[in-house]
Amino acid sequence: MNLAFQLAYKNLMGAGLRTWLNVGVLSFSFIIIIFYNGLIDGWNEQAKRDSIAWEYGYGQLLNSEYDPFDPFTILDGHGTLKEEQRKNLTPILIRQASVYPDGRMLSVALKGVDVNQSTLELPIQALKESTTAIPAMIGENMANAAKLKEGDEVLLRWRDKGGTFDAANITIVKVFDTDVPTVDNGQIWIPIQKLWDMTGLQNHATLFVANEQFQATNIPGWKFQSQEELLSDLTDIIAMKKVSGSIMYLLLLAIALLAIFDTQVLSVFRRQKEIGTYIALGMTRSQVVGLFTVEGSMYSLLAMVVGSIVGIPLFTYLAKTGIAFPAASQDIGIALADRIYPVFGIQLVLTTILLVVVAATIVSFLPAKKISKMNPVLALKGKLQ
Amino acid sequence: MNKESVIIIENVTKRFPVGEGEFTALKNINLQFKRGEFTGLVGPSGSGKTTLLNIIGSLDSPTEGKAIVLGKNISDLSHQESALLRNKHIGFIFQVYNLLPVYTVFENVEFALLLQDYSKEERKKMVMEALEWVGLAGMADKKPDKLSGGEGQRVAIARAMVKRPEIVIADEPSANLDAANTHAILKTMKQLNEELGTTFLFSTHDEKVMGYLERIIHLRDGAVEEDEIIEANIINR
Ligand SMILES: Nc1ncnc2c1ncn2[C@@H]1O[C@H](COP(=O)(O)OP(=O)(O)OP(=O)(O)O)[C@@H](O)[C@H]1O
Ligand SMILES: [Mg+2]
Repeated sequence: MNLAFQLAYKNLMGAGLRTWLNVGVLSFSFIIIIFYNGLIDGWNEQAKRDSIAWEYGYGQLLNSEYDPFDPFTILDGHGTLKEEQRKNLTPILIRQASVYPDGRMLSVALKGVDVNQSTLELPIQALKESTTAIPAMIGENMANAAKLKEGDEVLLRWRDKGGTFDAANITIVKVFDTDVPTVDNGQIWIPIQKLWDMTGLQNHATLFVANEQFQATNIPGWKFQSQEELLSDLTDIIAMKKVSGSIMYLLLLAIALLAIFDTQVLSVFRRQKEIGTYIALGMTRSQVVGLFTVEGSMYSLLAMVVGSIVGIPLFTYLAKTGIAFPAASQDIGIALADRIYPVFGIQLVLTTILLVVVAATIVSFLPAKKISKMNPVLALKGKLQ
Repeated sequence: MNKESVIIIENVTKRFPVGEGEFTALKNINLQFKRGEFTGLVGPSGSGKTTLLNIIGSLDSPTEGKAIVLGKNISDLSHQESALLRNKHIGFIFQVYNLLPVYTVFENVEFALLLQDYSKEERKKMVMEALEWVGLAGMADKKPDKLSGGEGQRVAIARAMVKRPEIVIADEPSANLDAANTHAILKTMKQLNEELGTTFLFSTHDEKVMGYLERIIHLRDGAVEEDEIIEANIINR
């Protein structure tokens, strides 16, 4: 085997340009596969981390009347919990409301959040410290859509418990930057105590966000969704991205493998005399098959080396500085940061190497297998078809 | 001087499938070759010289009859066994040299030794010795495409001889060489034959080669026409 490696290496180096062409295409596939998957993995991690930090916490206890995907359920989907049941839970009350920036009407979800909570990353400090009548904070997307900035006042209209409309000015005390669109687009955050007063729904919540210590128990009228369940949509979307992306790089890999296959078929045909000579010198046919197979799979090993020379600095740099994503892609509906830090895990790298090496070995072996049936006399004459 | 036979050909017939039928390339051949012979197969094109050499070299096997080389019946050998026989005991010299282009002269000669268990030092010693036999010790690091025809064939001789085989098979070794080179390589081979006792078996059309042979076997249409001993060329050993 060692001999086959030495010989294969010499043969490949002797073949010159053809070798480097194959190695080039293959190492390009290596880099693309690892880059793409690293990007998706990085995105996945960032999206999960941000969604947990900003929205999901360690799971949510939802009022059973409330369906996050149906805004009509907001009206009645709320309730209270007993004091002892509220342990490790942060209440969030959601109401439908409208704001009127510059005389335009915008429908919003008005969200009351406990200003003393520490489960979510929402910058509640600003709400807590403000002395205005109704302090409010919004995300950057919302601020852009409503053309609002910190310090602005805007008219808010909402319904109280009885269903009658009420209106007051709120003050934007904070515009925060988040990657999670569902806490930003069309959302206005105010202290929950204020919202309780405004609506008369003392102690009511649409949902509770759990912290790490929370133990889920069955509470009638409420349903608990674990962190994994809440993240499952996100995970599904990212898994889909992964599949659609893999089609592209599998195509690239297929081209690289085809090039190796083609080289091998050509080699076996063109190098008959050489094959005959190996056999005359005392190699067994299976040794020659092995030699040619190793030669083919060595493309993938060389590609690994070349890929590392280019890839390691490139990937280290990218993992450190991240990759900027244009604002347009923020409309994707799930948490996508302006900058994604790709994650190039050891598992990703090893699976990719395994995939490429095994695939290259198989496409090298298939044409080389023919050698085992060659008649050495005809091979020496170079007369095989 | 009663020497053992290293090659025994008994009633060997070789037929090749051609289209629907068959072509008989060797017809009931009976021959024996003793250790240290310097013999040539001579005959017109298509008379079966290469076919017979291939069988003796265990690259091919007879359709009928027995070819016994160094005590082994060629027809009975497995792939591995025949590979081992060629690797250790039979050296090949081809008309077109068949050097491996990506290897240096040294590596080409070393190749057969790589398949055996020689240490690096042993290999180096053996290769350099073989290159000295053919007068190419100074060209060890050259690639085959930098060699002249005569030098190429001398490398091929070194490659065949480096493992000190019992038998060397040379199929028209001078066909691509000019007169001076032909004489040079034959002198070298004759000398190795005398010094190492190696059995040489040629096929040739070349009168210059015939001038060195101790025995000439004339083949025609796959049969032995004449088996001629050239007393003048036999050195008293
Ligand atoms: N594999 C084969 N299939 C069919 N016919 C073959 C095969 N090998 C050799 N022959 C035929 O057998 C005959 C003997 O061939 P061989 O190569 O032994 O001749 P040769 O004496 O070496 O001729 P040359 O001097 O041209 O090399 C030729 O007629 C050739 O066409
Ligand atoms: Mg011939």
